[in-house]
Order: sequence, then C-alpha cells, then structure tokens
Amino acid sequence: MQQRLRRKARSLLEQGQVDWIIGFEPGSLRFTTTPLITKDKDDTDRLVVGSFIVNNLSNFLIELSGRVAIVAKGCDSRSIVSLIQDNKVNREDIVILGVPCPGIIDLSKVEGLVARDRDEIDDIARQDGVVSVRVGGQQREFPAGQVLFDNCLGCELPTPKEYDILLGEATSPIGEPTASQETLARLKDMPPDERWRFWQQEFGRCIRCYACRNVCPACFCKRCFVEESEPQWLLPMPRWQDNLIFQAIRNIHVAGRCTDCGECERACPVNIPLRSLTRDMYDIVADLFQFKSGMDIAAAPLLTAYEVEEAEDLIR
Amino acid sequence: MTITDISQRKRFLAQGNVYLPHIAVIERIIDETPGIRTFHFNFKDERLRGEFTFESGQFGEFSVFGVGEAPFCISSSPTRQDHLGFTVQRVGRVTNALHRLAVGAEIGFRGPYGNGFPINNLEGKNLVFVAGGIGLAPLRSLVWNVIDNRAKYRNVDIIYGARSPADLCFKYDLDSWQKDKTVNLFTTVDKGDDKWKGRVGFVPQVLEGVAPSAEGAVAVVCGPPIMIRFTFPVLEKLGFAPEQMLTTLEKRMKCGIGKCGRCNIGNIYVCRDGPVFSYAQIMNLVSSEY
Amino acid sequence: MAGSKKIKKQDLAQLLSQWSQEFSLFVPSRTSGLAEMTEYDGQDISFLGWYRNTIIPPKASFLPHMEEMFSFHRNKQGHQLELPPLEEQKRLIFAIRPCDARALTILDNVFEDTYPDPYYRGRRRRAILVGLGCTNPYDSCFCTSVGSGPSETTGVDIMLTDIGDELVTRGTTKAGEELIAGSGLVKATKADQKRAEQSQEAARQKVTRKVDTRDMASRLQAVFDDRDYWQQIAAKCLSCGICTLLCPTCYCFDINDEGSPEKGTRCRSLDSCAFPVYTKMPMENPRDEKWRRVRNRLCHKYEFYPMLFDTIACTGCGRCIRLCPVNWDITQILEGVPELSQAEGPK
Repeated sequence: MQQRLRRKARSLLEQGQVDWIIGFEPGSLRFTTTPLITKDKDDTDRLVVGSFIVNNLSNFLIELSGRVAIVAKGCDSRSIVSLIQDNKVNREDIVILGVPCPGIIDLSKVEGLVARDRDEIDDIARQDGVVSVRVGGQQREFPAGQVLFDNCLGCELPTPKEYDILLGEATSPIGEPTASQETLARLKDMPPDERWRFWQQEFGRCIRCYACRNVCPACFCKRCFVEESEPQWLLPMPRWQDNLIFQAIRNIHVAGRCTDCGECERACPVNIPLRSLTRDMYDIVADLFQFKSGMDIAAAPLLTAYEVEEAEDLIR
Repeated sequence: MTITDISQRKRFLAQGNVYLPHIAVIERIIDETPGIRTFHFNFKDERLRGEFTFESGQFGEFSVFGVGEAPFCISSSPTRQDHLGFTVQRVGRVTNALHRLAVGAEIGFRGPYGNGFPINNLEGKNLVFVAGGIGLAPLRSLVWNVIDNRAKYRNVDIIYGARSPADLCFKYDLDSWQKDKTVNLFTTVDKGDDKWKGRVGFVPQVLEGVAPSAEGAVAVVCGPPIMIRFTFPVLEKLGFAPEQMLTTLEKRMKCGIGKCGRCNIGNIYVCRDGPVFSYAQIMNLVSSEY
Repeated sequence: MAGSKKIKKQDLAQLLSQWSQEFSLFVPSRTSGLAEMTEYDGQDISFLGWYRNTIIPPKASFLPHMEEMFSFHRNKQGHQLELPPLEEQKRLIFAIRPCDARALTILDNVFEDTYPDPYYRGRRRRAILVGLGCTNPYDSCFCTSVGSGPSETTGVDIMLTDIGDELVTRGTTKAGEELIAGSGLVKATKADQKRAEQSQEAARQKVTRKVDTRDMASRLQAVFDDRDYWQQIAAKCLSCGICTLLCPTCYCFDINDEGSPEKGTRCRSLDSCAFPVYTKMPMENPRDEKWRRVRNRLCHKYEFYPMLFDTIACTGCGRCIRLCPVNWDITQILEGVPELSQAEGPK
C-alpha cells in the first residue's frame, strides 16, 4: 500500500493534478508519524502508512490554497466530507487517497501494558489481530483490541466511503463498540454529584492549551469564542469551571460535525478524557436526528437542514 | 543585560509592588471626537501628586477595576502638572469601560513606563512635528513641553491632519497654536465638510508642501501606520537622515515593564526600550517583523 | 566531590518527613492523573520507581498557571487594593531535574530584571531546590546541546546522584550545604563518589539527541526574512499552546480582571505566543499569520533571548517534542536551519 501511495502521490504532483500532498512521514520519535505537507515531488518518497498514522490530516485542508491530495483513513474521510458540507473545502479541489484502516495503535496503552515508556520499547509489530511488543529481548503478544485507540474499537467506517483512489483492500470494523466507550458508560452510571466531582477534578488539570480545539477539523473558526473580549464569554484563565464550560460549548459548536476521530483526547497533554464528552454528543445527535456526520456527502449539515416532519419532542 | 538602562529613572511603586496601581480620580472629561475622549486625572495620594514626574512620550497602564488594564500615552505635558491626562479611542473592552466613566470615578495608574522622547537631544534644533488623528496625543505633550521652554529650541513646525474636521483632536490646542506666533501650525483634513474652510489634503502631501529644511532638524512623527509609512519617504526626500526621524511604535501590551513578552520586536520590548524609536533604530530591528 | 554525604533510598521517606517539618515539600507524583510536583503526603516515595520527568514543569511552583496579583473592592472611601497574603513557609522542591533547575535561572533573568517581579521573586527566594541527576534520559532529551546535562548543577542547592540503592548528596550552594549538614546523613566513601561519577558519565552517554547550536543566533538571523522557509517550517504546527505552556523556560503571561468594579481580583495567567490573538490590536495583528508566530517562538529562544542574556532560552528537557500532537520537533528544525555561508561567517 505504501509503495502505491508514494507512486500515486508523486505522479499527481508531477502531472500537475495537485499543488500539495498531505500525508504522513516517519516522526522523530519511535513509533510516531508526523504530517507531511509538501509541494515537492521528491518528498513523496517519505510517505508512510501503517499502525501509527494517527493524525486527522483534514485539519490542514483549510489552510492550503490550491488543489490538495490528502491521505485519509476512514474517520478522516468523514471529516473531509463534513468540511465539504460546510463549504470550507471544494470537492473538486481535493484528491482523496483513501487508506483502509485496521485501527491505530495507542502507544499509551502499550506503555501501560509493558510498564515501559515509548523510548524503552524496542519494537512493535502487527500481524492480523495480534500485536507483538518487544522490550529488552523479551517479546509479549497482545490481541489488537487491547492496544488500539478506544475510538478505533468502535469505528463505524474504517474504509473511506468517499475517495478518489482507494489504496488497499477494504477492511471491516473491529466491532467492539462497548469497549470504545468504557469511560462514558462508567460516567453514565454515576450519580450526578459524583459525576460533577469527577469533571471538577479532570478539568482542574486543564491548562487551556486549546490543543483539543486546534487538532479538531470541525473547529475552524478564525476567531474562537474564547478569544472574544466584547462580550467576554470566558476569562482566559484556567479555572476548572471555565475549562469545563469551554469544552461544553465547544462540543455544542461541533455537534453534528464531530466524527469521533478521537484526536482531541489523544492530543490533550494532561490526560482529560475528552472523548467522554464528544462521544456523548455524537450519540445524542445520532439518537435525536438519526444523523452521523460525514457519512453521506450529499447530505446537508445537520443544524442547517430542516424537515417539516422533524421530531419535536426535544422541545419540552 | 537589557538594552535600555532605566536604572536612573524615577519609579513610583505602590507598596513596592510593580503590578499594583495607584488610585487616581477623573477630574475632567473632554470629548475630542465622537469616539475619542481625553481624561484629566490626579492621584488620590497627596504626596504622590506632589512628587510624580514623567517625560513626554512615556505611557501608563490605566485600569478600570473589574474590567482590565490598557496602555495609553500620557498626553499632558510634564511642564503643566496641575493635571495628568490621557486620551482614549473607544475600540474594545477596556476602552469602552473607560468611556462609560464619569467625573469623580476612580481608575488605576501604573507608570510612567517607556523611554519617552529624547528631549535633551532636541535642544537647539529645528523641530518638525507630524501627526495624524489620535497620534497627536503623545506629540502634544512634547509640543507643550517645547513651548513652555521655547528659548531652548529653534524653529517649530506642526503639521497635523485627520480624516475629516470632526476627527480633529485637541481642537483647543490647535486654536492656541494657531494664535502662537512662535510656532507654525499647518492643519489639514483628508476630506472637508461644508463648514471647513481650511486646507484639504493628506498629511504627507502637506508636509511635502511645507518642505521644512532638514538641516539641524529633527522630525517627530505619530499617527496611523499608513500615514507614517508615507511620511518617512517624504522626510527622506527632504534630506532627513534616519537618525533625524523619531516615531512611536504601538503594540499590544499588558505588563508595560518588559516581562509578559507580547510587545517584543526581535530582542527589544516596545514597552521598555520604546515606544519612542528613531527610524534608524527601526531599520535595524528585525525588519520584516514589523 | 569532597564533603559528599549519602542516604539509602529506603531511608528517604524518613529524610523527607524530617525536611517537611521545616519546608513545604514538593515531590513528583501522579495522583492528580498526570506527573507533576505536588505536596508530599508524608509517605509515598514510589516516584523513585517511575520518575523520569514531570509533565508540568517545576516552574509552576514559581510561575503558576494562574495566580492572584491583588484583590480590590469599593467602599465609601473608594477603591481599596489588597495584596494576597505572603507565603510564609519555605518551599523545597525535591528531585527536580537539572534541565528544569537551569530553566529557573533563565526565568530569573527576566523576572529580576529592571522591575523585579515580587510574586516570582518571593517564591524563588524562599525555595530550596534539591536536584536529582538523571539516570534514564528520554530519547527526546537534548540538554547536552544547550549548555546543560543530566548531572549539571546550575540552579540547584543540593545535587543527588543515583548510585543504585543509595543517593549521593552534595551541597552546591551555601543553603544546600547547611541543609545537608543539619540532616544527619552519613559520609559518602571514595568508592561511593566513584560510582556517582560513573553514573553521571553513563547518563551523559545516554543523551543521544544532539543539535549543533553554535552560531545558531547568527544562522537564524541570516534566514529570518525568508518567508517561504518559515511557511514550510510552520506548515504542520497547530498553534496550540502545549509547547509554550509546558516549557520550563517559557514565561509569557496575561493579566486579567475577574469580578466587577465592586469586588474582584486581578490575576496573572500563563499565555502563549503561539495563539493568534497574542499580539492582536484593534486595527492590526503583526503576527496574524502562523509562520510569523512560529518564527518568533524559535527565534526568541535561540536568538533574541541570547542577545539579551548570553544564554539560549532552552534547556533541552524535550517536553515539547514528547507532547506535540503533530510531532513538530525543535531539534529537527534547528538542524535544518541553514549553516552560515563562508561570506557570512559567525558574528
């Protein structure tokens, strides 16, 4: 798949069909990849796929002018469709290089299982449903379901539906949706005041770095509401109450456009389980409107579409 | 080792804490234009009232408690200490809050900060003041400073303009300077109205017409960036060297004392090493940053 | 290393309890959900098992993410301003890494300069730093390239070296020596000191990430105006605040008022030059474009700050590399800054 990607990306640039390629190249740390954004056809030799291509590259589409070829996993392709529906990107301006995705390995889970940090692990290899981790000469094997990201476990579209070129064989979903929402399920079982205390503690760690917002393709406002001063919705200080409200409002703003790609939770440097909020919103949207973002390119964005026969029981 | 040594300057710290403002009371409010107000204020503390000094071109951090703090240059002259003044254009949160204050309201003041105009270097020189809009605020402090020590300076030209007659600030100063035979005032507007009988034209063009000599002269330029951008080439054409042109730079500021980081241009901080710079210094600064 | 003492790791809890009588003691912990320095609970020294470095840098003890500068209220006599109560107790930060301790000396230059900052200063002067030399540097550490190292003592009062079951202790300032002298520790033998030296050398060998930072200020200055270069460098940056807020040498802050004119507080909070609104003015924003912000950050650390204080404002802790969501790696970027041409030469 990797060779095919490199050849295709190179020829797209050479033939002038696109101005930019966005893909992944090996990162500077072990078991890491990093976005590759380039106009240079020779850079395409560095493109990679595999179990560590974690970023949602659609985030970069809006910044680039010209035609762009973009590597997209299933979840990424949904974000691209969502951006097209929002008129932020034109379909004709992008070439979607679809990558069927068997799930991305969550390094923090591997680190937890072998009680070692990333740089102390010698190798992580994957063969079908088994992930082998080698530390100091010793090899341990884990079922893939134990080391993939939570949202990958319940992924609804591992193979992009909207693409120009599909770079490999379609894959099927892992099919463990319950495992993908363990924290959320635990929270739903908690009585309200315990839940409140939980979030008070979690958001007490938030430093307002806005990585969750900046890594999200659905957050593309030039001026975010937290940056307004007239009126000042939120103080820029990291008080837990304001941190919680920031995340709550952000969720409302991306409702119907969030694809549960999980980047917000992965990017958070202080380990706040943000997906428990985003997934909850995702489920609410699915429940109330029978809408899943990014699945149907012909659909209108959720909150701009109106049907006369819409459910009205949400107005109480 | 920092660039500007202000160790010899007087500081007025409240309780020894550089972030703590002094309390001041607004004594007079002057509406310069529909969006611009000048506030005259004085410190509550009697002793501070007597001791406080500053230099033309320096600024203070003014607080509306509960809303925030913002930097404004001190527009009154250090030679006239019956009041202190600052001039505010209504553009955002703090400035709107300031405009809602009445006479008698309390504000906070920290300062004076910044390097101020190098007034000693202006002695014995011909002075050309070029200002646009609210840019006259820092300059008027210097102009009155010069007028109050008139004998130390030679020829004084003042070229001032605004978008329209309604946008002219400090009209009372313009009246005084018009009557003052020791200075030459040239007022202009970009666009007149049916009552305007004066000059019409952009400030740089009027400057070109006045054509002051560059010999033994210093030009001080303050105004919107676009005016400054077109004024410097005119001065160059008239023979002014970069060291002979002074201006004030504007940046977003918070602490005012070179610590919070945001007003930097390269390795200098506009709040501490400026806001007054010569064109020669600006050319040396990491140029495309600004 | 004359005058070195030592302590067995198994006796450490006792020593910490002893010290916590005199100081407000901070040790690495993970109880909050992430690795940071928190107040010693009197018992838990399990950090010896997992501690490599914290996520929140120890600068947070001196320049917190959020702090009150003063409070105000209005009564019949007008506005009254009150400073927060002074922290009386002295602080001891235990097991601070050399990169983070050195970083504090870099912050000192800024906060002591011209107008000394009373909040930072007050905490700094009342604090003792007990450093713990690294034995297991990350692959993202590059301290040896920026004037530091896994056993450097800049900024610490006491340096501990891990020799297995024991920690060799050495006072590096008068305050540190006094504290050790009063702690009832046994003398380290010559063999212990030799093992300490070997441990330090081994740690140094383990720092494999290296960048040539000689003439970096000049190299950056030479490429400063190359817009295309910086746009390419900045392409994948997200403009979030992770690198700045978690960097031990970053200090940019914001000042805001909370409350109302009747009653409120003025607070300082950490800010980031990566944010678009950092330099925003009503009519213009000089760093509206991302590449300008990225350029400013890099040049501030490696060109502007060194021009003022003769030191690179980075201690190679590697947090920015480990935590960046897109793996924007400062060492890769620095490696890529063009070398000076023959004509340019070092300045």
